[in-house]
Amino acid sequence: MAKIIPRPQLSLLEQLYFVEVFKGMALTIKHAVRSLAKPETIPVLNYPEVQPELPAEHRSEHRLMKRADGTSRCVACYMCQTACPARCITIVAEESPDGDIEKRPATFDIDWLLCVFCGLCVEACPCDAIRMDTGKAILVEDSRDAFIANKDRLMDWSPADYPAEDIISQEAPGGLLNEQALAAMQGGMFSAGDVADVADKETC
Amino acid sequence: MTDKIQITIDGEEHSVTPGQQLIQALWEAGVDTPNFCYHEDLSIAGNCRICLAEVEGPRGWGLMISCHMPIRPGMNVRTQRSSEKVVNARKGVMEFQLVNHPLDCPICDKAGECKLQEHYMSDGRGESRMRDDIGKQYAGGPDHQSCDRKGQTRGGKHIDLGDRVLLDQERCISCSRCVRFMREVAGDEQLELASRGDHTYITTFPGEKLDHEYDLCTTDVCPVGALTGKHFRFQQRVWFLKKTNSIVPDDSLGANITIDYNEGQREGAPEYGVYRLMPRRNPDVNKSWLHNDSRMLYTQLTENRLTEGLKHGEPCSLAEANTAMSAALASAKKIAIVASGHATNEDNAAVLALLEKLGDRAELFGGSWLAVGEGDGIARSGDPVANRRGCELLAIPDNLDQLCERVAEFDCLLTVGHDLWAADAEKAVALEGISERLVFSAWKDATASRATVAMGVRAWAEVRGTMVNCNDRIQMLQACPICPNDELMSIWEAVSELSGVEWDSAAAWKAVKARVPQLADVSYRSIGALGQQLVSEAAVAASAESAEV
Repeated sequence: MAKIIPRPQLSLLEQLYFVEVFKGMALTIKHAVRSLAKPETIPVLNYPEVQPELPAEHRSEHRLMKRADGTSRCVACYMCQTACPARCITIVAEESPDGDIEKRPATFDIDWLLCVFCGLCVEACPCDAIRMDTGKAILVEDSRDAFIANKDRLMDWSPADYPAEDIISQEAPGGLLNEQALAAMQGGMFSAGDVADVADKETC
Repeated sequence: MTDKIQITIDGEEHSVTPGQQLIQALWEAGVDTPNFCYHEDLSIAGNCRICLAEVEGPRGWGLMISCHMPIRPGMNVRTQRSSEKVVNARKGVMEFQLVNHPLDCPICDKAGECKLQEHYMSDGRGESRMRDDIGKQYAGGPDHQSCDRKGQTRGGKHIDLGDRVLLDQERCISCSRCVRFMREVAGDEQLELASRGDHTYITTFPGEKLDHEYDLCTTDVCPVGALTGKHFRFQQRVWFLKKTNSIVPDDSLGANITIDYNEGQREGAPEYGVYRLMPRRNPDVNKSWLHNDSRMLYTQLTENRLTEGLKHGEPCSLAEANTAMSAALASAKKIAIVASGHATNEDNAAVLALLEKLGDRAELFGGSWLAVGEGDGIARSGDPVANRRGCELLAIPDNLDQLCERVAEFDCLLTVGHDLWAADAEKAVALEGISERLVFSAWKDATASRATVAMGVRAWAEVRGTMVNCNDRIQMLQACPICPNDELMSIWEAVSELSGVEWDSAAAWKAVKARVPQLADVSYRSIGALGQQLVSEAAVAASAESAEV
């Protein structure tokens, strides 16, 4: 059914045209003067050089989480690929050398040009292996291929950039809890975090 | 047809086929009834208890397993639709099944087609009463037990049962389907349930491996991910796969299969391809079984394919190959055309049409040099020429040996979908005496490599057509959209183009029907998924006579 939208009724002053034109120009000139006099007050970011400050919940570039020994937490279950509405994730699975884990991704590609940053992959992941909390919301590349992030690129992050209370991040190599987690892993556990939530991290 | 009998399900009268078990009657009446151990082509074990339904007997209503309850007229049944007792009983059964079942679904190849997942959604409890502090305490398979990082006792994972099958002991629900398959169908009891109660586990005999021509069928009958095939391990999640109905091309019984393929998310995606062939149940042909060799045929769809033309072994485009073939046929004085029992009826009808167009200049040959083996009574007849009966119906002679003797008469040989040199190189050598050798082949096989002009065509999985099996049953191959080169044509397309008439699919089928009187009442629709039994020639003649009278 068609929705009828009434035309905005203009007042007499607005209908005169010139008054409104000069009002618009005044605004433009005001901003122009401000940008010269006090550039730091302008509500505009230098795209793409400047990253915006984003809330922690913001869904930005993905990263793949790492176990204490630096391998990916991903078990190549394809849940993210299944959940993805943009079909931007491509996984190829292979046999893991670790018999207890069995499965791991041989390749894990995300095409950020297709991605709609909906976060369903993060929701779907049963292993907390994929997150979208990198805070990088601006993607600039010079070719289409460069927008396809592979496994290495997704795992290229440092625990130092994440808060100390983020246990899984800090268990990765270089993290605050890495030694502890590595010891647990050698004792037959995959991560200290796993011990904490016994309930649902069975195959990770 | 036997008369239907009346039974009462949830207070409603239903007429169902007599002589079957209650679970089949419930399915027939459209009542979803879960099953693990019950399999239509195996004996009844009745050990999983998930198919419980309430049946009224002389001592009132009682819970019975519907898979082992022959139906009788006037039977009164309550199912999950009207009985809280059935629902609760199934929830209880489900809970027991899952007590020590690992949470492997993310890495389990059965996930997506797993009965345990399906019935957990339809009949499960929904909420767990398991205690994390106790965890899984799997008791079976002492040789492979281990204590995991959370202190739980776990069963053996990915145990190598043989060359083709992996066993995951803790996923097993001890339904005994695989044991019954090996005992009753394969006739070679290699798997056994060891121990009792919750200590039960599946194993082979000490020191023995699972090794049988049909052992991959155990992975089909397994309702969970306990037995999985190595060839499909971690290849794809099953929910990405689409299915095309077809039949196997390497045996004249024509076991019914589905071709499971993934079209890929985007063009050029790595997942594009055919991933497996699965048996498709046809009670009159192969039941639910498929020979291992037939099952692995999907690998040949990508290996060594001829996706373009070949001129004296040098690659050329399909159009160039076509032009060269037409020219060779036009200039030849005497042409030998070899039709093939590996091709569909449509392909052979196109060959016959070409033969008629060439007139006296061409002569038809047919048959095969491949050895015919013994049938195994399961899903193979032993004859590797899948459409031998179809060739007979189309009156294609079996005279390849004559061709070898009369090589000197011909200056051009056209072979269609038939690797003569691979079948018997010693006999085929004589054919190299024919100067011009034209070949339609889907593979860069021995025959294509010896051709003066070879043209790539679609393989069996990529064409639509019919074949007649050794029991006179006409069955259909459907085209799966996975093809190494979309410009490839079916054999009948290529051959009909060569003879100047460009057929479509309907014309090809019409040409087959015109040549075979038994096909008068047969259409693609009536063949359907399960095929159609042809009436004998005598019966056709008799009915024609009676019509004349």
